Amino acid sequence: MDGTARIAVDIGGTFTDLVLLSADGRSHYLKQASTPDRPEQAVIDGIATLLKTAGLVPGDIAEVLHGTTVGSNTLLQKQGAVTGLITTRGFRDVLEIGRVRTPGMFDLTWKKPEPLVPRRFRREVDERISTEGEVLTPLDAGEVVAVARGLVEDGVTSIAICFLNSYRNPEHERAAEAAIRDALPDTAVTSSVSVLPEIKEYERTSTAVVNAYVLPVLQSYIARLEAGLGEAGIDAPLLVSNSNGGLAAAKTAQEKPVFFISSGRSAGVVGATHMGRAVGEDNLIVFDMGGTTASAALVHDGKLSRTNEYEFRAGISTPSRFIKAGGYMMRVPTVDVAEVGSGGGSIAWVDAGGLLNVGPLSAGAEPGPACYAMGGEKPTVTDANVVLGLLPETLAGGSLDLDVSAARAAIGRDVAEPLGLSVEDAAIGIRDVANVNMARAIRAVTVERGVDPRDFTLLGFGGSGPVHACDLARVLNVGRVLFPPMPGVFTAMGMLAGDVERYFIQAWPGYLRNADMAKLSATMTDLAERAEATLKEEGYAASGITLDFEIDLRFEDQDNEVAVPVTRGMLDADKLRARFIEIYRSIYQYASDDEVETVNLRLIGRGVRANKVDFAHVRTAAQPSPGGAAQMRSAYFDRVSGWRDAPVLWRESFSGEQAGPAIIESSDSTIVVPPGARASLDAAGNIVVEV
Amino acid sequence: MTQRNLDPITLAVVSSALDTIVDEMAYTVMRTSRSPLVRDVLDYSCTICDASGRILTQAKTVALHLGAVPDAIEAVLEAYGGTFVPGDIVILNDPYQGGMHLPDIFMFKPIFTGDTLHGFSVVITHHCDMGGRVPGSNAADSTEIFQEGLRIPPLKLYEAGVRNRTLIDIIRKNVRVPDLVIGDIESQIATCNIGERNFIDLLERYGESELRDYFDELIDYGETLTRKVIASWPDGEYAFTDYIDGDGFTREQIPITVKLTVDGDHVTADFEGSSPQVRGAINSTMSFTKSSTYLAIRCALDQKVPNNAGVYRCITVKAPLGSILNPQMPAPVAARALTGYRTVDTVMGALAQVVPDKVRAAGEGGNTVICFGGYDKETREPFIMVDMINGAWGARADADGIEGITNPSQNMSNMPIETLEQRYPVRMEEYAFREDSCGAGRYRGGLGLVRQYRLLADEAILQLRSDRYVNPPYGLGGGGPAAPARNVFNPDAEHEDLPSKVTRTVHTGDVLRHEQPGGGGHGDPLERPVEEVAADVLNQKISPAFAKAQFGVVFAADLSADPDATAARRAEMAAAR
Repeated sequence: MDGTARIAVDIGGTFTDLVLLSADGRSHYLKQASTPDRPEQAVIDGIATLLKTAGLVPGDIAEVLHGTTVGSNTLLQKQGAVTGLITTRGFRDVLEIGRVRTPGMFDLTWKKPEPLVPRRFRREVDERISTEGEVLTPLDAGEVVAVARGLVEDGVTSIAICFLNSYRNPEHERAAEAAIRDALPDTAVTSSVSVLPEIKEYERTSTAVVNAYVLPVLQSYIARLEAGLGEAGIDAPLLVSNSNGGLAAAKTAQEKPVFFISSGRSAGVVGATHMGRAVGEDNLIVFDMGGTTASAALVHDGKLSRTNEYEFRAGISTPSRFIKAGGYMMRVPTVDVAEVGSGGGSIAWVDAGGLLNVGPLSAGAEPGPACYAMGGEKPTVTDANVVLGLLPETLAGGSLDLDVSAARAAIGRDVAEPLGLSVEDAAIGIRDVANVNMARAIRAVTVERGVDPRDFTLLGFGGSGPVHACDLARVLNVGRVLFPPMPGVFTAMGMLAGDVERYFIQAWPGYLRNADMAKLSATMTDLAERAEATLKEEGYAASGITLDFEIDLRFEDQDNEVAVPVTRGMLDADKLRARFIEIYRSIYQYASDDEVETVNLRLIGRGVRANKVDFAHVRTAAQPSPGGAAQMRSAYFDRVSGWRDAPVLWRESFSGEQAGPAIIESSDSTIVVPPGARASLDAAGNIVVEV
Repeated sequence: MTQRNLDPITLAVVSSALDTIVDEMAYTVMRTSRSPLVRDVLDYSCTICDASGRILTQAKTVALHLGAVPDAIEAVLEAYGGTFVPGDIVILNDPYQGGMHLPDIFMFKPIFTGDTLHGFSVVITHHCDMGGRVPGSNAADSTEIFQEGLRIPPLKLYEAGVRNRTLIDIIRKNVRVPDLVIGDIESQIATCNIGERNFIDLLERYGESELRDYFDELIDYGETLTRKVIASWPDGEYAFTDYIDGDGFTREQIPITVKLTVDGDHVTADFEGSSPQVRGAINSTMSFTKSSTYLAIRCALDQKVPNNAGVYRCITVKAPLGSILNPQMPAPVAARALTGYRTVDTVMGALAQVVPDKVRAAGEGGNTVICFGGYDKETREPFIMVDMINGAWGARADADGIEGITNPSQNMSNMPIETLEQRYPVRMEEYAFREDSCGAGRYRGGLGLVRQYRLLADEAILQLRSDRYVNPPYGLGGGGPAAPARNVFNPDAEHEDLPSKVTRTVHTGDVLRHEQPGGGGHGDPLERPVEEVAADVLNQKISPAFAKAQFGVVFAADLSADPDATAARRAEMAAAR
């Protein structure tokens, strides 16, 4: 690695957040308005500005870490490629039939989501592989190409291929993929075994189809971003945050975008676990509110909840362990996050029945809320906060002046008048409705899973999170709210706090009793060599690499495994069986006497960066401070207190304790401390509010 | 209702915590079970009852099982009453003592803290064999319950933590695939333990006596909401009759007749006039008849009504003793699920007169069950494939039906083809939508499914249970019926048209093709917008010929709709009515 500084970039619907961690451990940050038509533009502009601020040149950058919502937005807005699917004859409907369950019971009004590939673009070829992997009907590459050509003539630009039993023998899928690439070089192709070489045809088909659907969009986005970085003189590796909260090479994101749908959002949650560990908070509700969406996740006993299957849905989106119905299934490791379409940019409107609604439409970065005076005329949550005096008259470190009168006019016209309310009452109504929506996301990961939110601390971040977190905590009876340093760019900070994790898996089917331990040991050596080579290539010194092995075991005929940590000293069938039984019994309070099956050997390789964010000692570069004594501002916190004068404090110089009402500002965000709450500073520089 | 001083947040948390406990239980069954029928198709259900046996909540699994729990737990309480001790586990499967059919083993684990009984952790699993004359123990053509397999009255599988070896050994000796059956029983045990542990956590978190008040409140709340909805329905009597094709011996139509009486905030379902009990194994015991009725009515209630015992208080079910819906011992019952589905269809047909907007047209008529059972030629290892095919929904008053969907009484899944082929000597040749099988209407029904199997083993017993072969799924509000079921044996050779219920010996290379009915339509097909018909034609869900015959929409050779020919055809069809 030439450079020494690391940059993390998180693109949201409204702002692009950037953090630069310099060699001396100081971080610089910037919120840059997003450029939704060409998201890479804000990234490139932001990096240039940040380098200038830090007094660095492009060659000083060692790596660029990146979280992006391009994948999830493509699915949410159904703006992916026109996608085709080629299957074994007789099985083109596997995708649409799915696993036939419904998310609820007794609900005859349910509607099944439209498949990403309509039936007319699902086509079949003659080929068949048996469950043993033997070819029963050979594949005719000519037929595959003819079918693919037909799809392309009908407008398809990306093709997924899934053949039965390809997990046993991928020969046909690989041949079909090669034939299409050869004949139709401009068409994107995803073979199911390239993204999920596992049994179960629906899960594999659906995962491949989502990949094919988002691939052209994500591929060209990353290519443009890399080109732009190159033009700016930055040749450092680009790593993209995946749905599991880890980081992977940009090339992987271009080929297997299905692993990157929850990019960014997951990185924030992983950052929160690092943060919790640093300050001794084991139980956190992680609340992230940006311009377009708000999300919630749970850190319980220091652990993050993850899942292997994820179904993407409109409305409230939560992973589920066994619904298999509600949306677009991806069998990829994902951090468990609930999301709702409520953010600072969510538009408030009154429906035909006279009911006030907020979202799901967002004014985003363009045209933005009315108060941005960039062409937006619709009232948003941010406009409500400005009218109520909760937000200052400039945002994002002075880069954006807010037009209070435009916000008042928009709320007056679209909400206050139709409802016959004062502008203030309309604004507080917008805020309340947004809070109720966001409380749903928090409930989805707490109350709805039987977890009592009162046992948790709320960690509030994101551009708008600190403006709403204390009110939400009160709604949910949470007693304590934590605001990290630089909450407005916390997700980007989170990426800089983590290690790179790589998984290497070797399928290893059989009975444990018969397992060849010498061969297993050799396989462990193989995996270790592969992992070390990969991590070294990504710039990690041997001393910064750790390797951990697991073996997936289960009782005979089961479909789900238990991961058993293993070292070379444990390579003995009896020892492994005993350890498996012990773990199994601790989970189910019961264990069988039956045969144990082996399924996979897994290596988790971690690359540890020397220079990373330490949440116990975050050091920010000095930010411009208005200086002078605390100012007072009139603000409307709730209906009971009405307009009140509240002190406005600058976070950089905040210390001691402060009773609410108060407003604590920094260039990346604004913390609203409601009347009756108390704010103080902890040793790590977090602001803690007892609500 | 008594006035209780309860905290609304705690009430919400407790309600959701109960839901989470049963979902965690359901997840445990999936993770620990052995047979694909359980771990992949998800033919099981979980619930938590309080100490008096009232259902507190249900997992999102087979809904139709749970209405039978009140009768089952009554049988358990009658057998053991106050003699439970910590560490006990009771099982039963006898349809004439709380059960439904022999493959469904109910398991109850009493939950104690100290000596105080707080409730029961309950798991019902459909085992892939329970012995008897036909592999899978599901045959429609048995004539008395003694042919159907091993009957288990309420018995303690564990007594104070000690395993009842006698009972386990008897089960092991009487079933064809003992490792799978015992493995799935062990999965039930693990699941009861998880339910018990999480329920005790909840008791400790909120206090035992406080929680009792919250449970009462939740059940009362379920009752209050249910009564409110029923009170909004017009009082009166509403009758409906639907039919089963035959019992496997005769092809004589078997009527299921209901008279629903809405009286204020209470509903009575009286099945007087339904068929007497039949010779074949489709008799439904009273617990299952109640369960089916509760379920149909529950579907017409609001979504926010909690799924607990409060709902049942508002519904009375009556069926004459000796009828197909309340048979007398030793009537066979193995394939009784079919009668349950038809009971649901019948009650919904009556409800369509009460709340026309809440009820859908008939769906596929219940899952089709296909079993292949036999022994490997070389190893003599037994195999039993129990596959269940789901399904299609009928159209709603404001939306099309759904294709590729569980029957609403179950929430089951399907067996992945790759799992099926890996586990059984069977190859799947097709799994697809059945074009043109929907009922026409302003809103069309869902398409049925096709599933075609080829036997690879030397020899096997095929057992098939399907229906809606003669009586297709009905439409509502002027919508048409769906296509009826079809079963074809060796479609590329002798092409034998099979009846709806079959037990026969088959051999290597034999092919069974099942074509499931679709769902009925809703409203006048001539009012379906041309674009919607065109979209279905373009997507190859219906053929141009079907579009012309059923919807009066005429397509040119390039599949564009011809407006003039369509107008003429629609006028002609309207005039012919």
